[in-house]
Amino acid sequence: MNETMVGQGKQPSEPTPPPAAPPPAAQAPSKPLLNTERWKAMIIILTMINTILVAIIAGLQTDANIRANDANRDSQYYAVLTSGELHRIGLQTNYDMNTFARILDNGQRSLVMGLTSLEQLQKGDEAGAALSSLQEKVAQAQSDAATKFSIFYQNPRYAPKSSEEQPDLQKYLDDSNVKALELLASQNAAADAYKIWSGKSDSYVAVLTILAIAFFLFGIAQSVNPRLRLLFAGFGILVIMLGVGWALVILIG
Amino acid sequence: MSDENKQTNRLELVIAFLIAIVSLTTALAAWRTNAVGSKAGDATRQGLIDTVKKQASTNEDWRRLYEEAGYSQSYAVTLAGVEAMETSGDPVAAVQAANLRKYLLPGIIVLTDPLGTDPHYLLDNGTYDLEKRFADLQAEAPDMLALDPQASFKLAEQYSSEQRWLMLGTILLALSLFWLALSEVGGSGLRLGTLGIGVVIYLIGLAWFFIVEVLFIFLRGGAL
Repeated sequence: MNETMVGQGKQPSEPTPPPAAPPPAAQAPSKPLLNTERWKAMIIILTMINTILVAIIAGLQTDANIRANDANRDSQYYAVLTSGELHRIGLQTNYDMNTFARILDNGQRSLVMGLTSLEQLQKGDEAGAALSSLQEKVAQAQSDAATKFSIFYQNPRYAPKSSEEQPDLQKYLDDSNVKALELLASQNAAADAYKIWSGKSDSYVAVLTILAIAFFLFGIAQSVNPRLRLLFAGFGILVIMLGVGWALVILIG
Repeated sequence: MSDENKQTNRLELVIAFLIAIVSLTTALAAWRTNAVGSKAGDATRQGLIDTVKKQASTNEDWRRLYEEAGYSQSYAVTLAGVEAMETSGDPVAAVQAANLRKYLLPGIIVLTDPLGTDPHYLLDNGTYDLEKRFADLQAEAPDMLALDPQASFKLAEQYSSEQRWLMLGTILLALSLFWLALSEVGGSGLRLGTLGIGVVIYLIGLAWFFIVEVLFIFLRGGAL
């Protein structure tokens, strides 16, 4: 889009002003001498702002790093506890299941021996029937003894409600895993927190590096002529804005 | 040399000495901040080692408990069978039961020791008090029982917290160094102003560092 199209250009009817006369040669050297200190105060203020920002972000970085370390420690702590709990569950479940298997085994054995005894009695084998009956009683006594040790019969949560029902094994397994699952959830949460804080800590380091570039630009600005000083100050401000923007994203994210 | 130049040179010398002092203080502050961070790491590491040791000891206690519990149950079940044979009225079974009592049960009961042998663990219904046995197993290793990972973690958190605040003090000291350097290299018009800012920030940083140190040492009961 050119200037004439938007109506802001020079009108053809306007008289062209005469070009500005060059300054007298005798006045030229005095101007740069007067302007060498120009904008220096502004650069100092910008540098001060940058140092304050660096201080704040360095503090945030330290905090994020400490939080990452704490979360890392917690995740390891919970991992050890989870592994211990799984070990305990394994031992307990093994004991409880073996007890249950012993009850079933002896109960079945007793039943079979009882049936055998009846069968032998029907065949007229009284001695054999007596022996089978004895084995039935022994197996039943052993099954009853094992029942006293079984959580599936002693704990009302799992015990069968009637003689036809079986113990609630699923409820037992669910209950057994509750603590381990809680510990695992804590471990996962801590591991996730570690990932987040570690990422934030790394990003803050990158922001600090960006702000260090701003320091460099302001340092250069102090040592060059006023026109370049403003240019470098502008670059420095852009870099600060980039750094602050990123820091805000990290802080909120 | 004019009086003004002499005064400027003297001020530059003073600033140079201040820079040296502040640099040294900042280096010491950075060392102390890192040392505190390192102590936090040490306490965390100790806590994790204690956790592993304690858990390993607990795991072994659980293993022993269920080993004894399994043998004790076997003993009780076998004994029930023997008693059934004894009360059956069958003379052959009675002899068999007597021999089982004589030769088999003593061998099993050895394996149950102490859960199956100590009346301290025997319950009224003929079973055993596993919780009491586990508590006794834990008490057998008082050194493991005394390990307190949470105490180490709490100490680590205290050191980390101190590190956070010391870091702020170190940053203030570094800031003051920056302003003093600016005062040394800057133009004469800004020198006194920047010098003043530098000195004020340095004093605030120093006071901050001192207060944080004293407070946290007091919280730790005098431990550095």
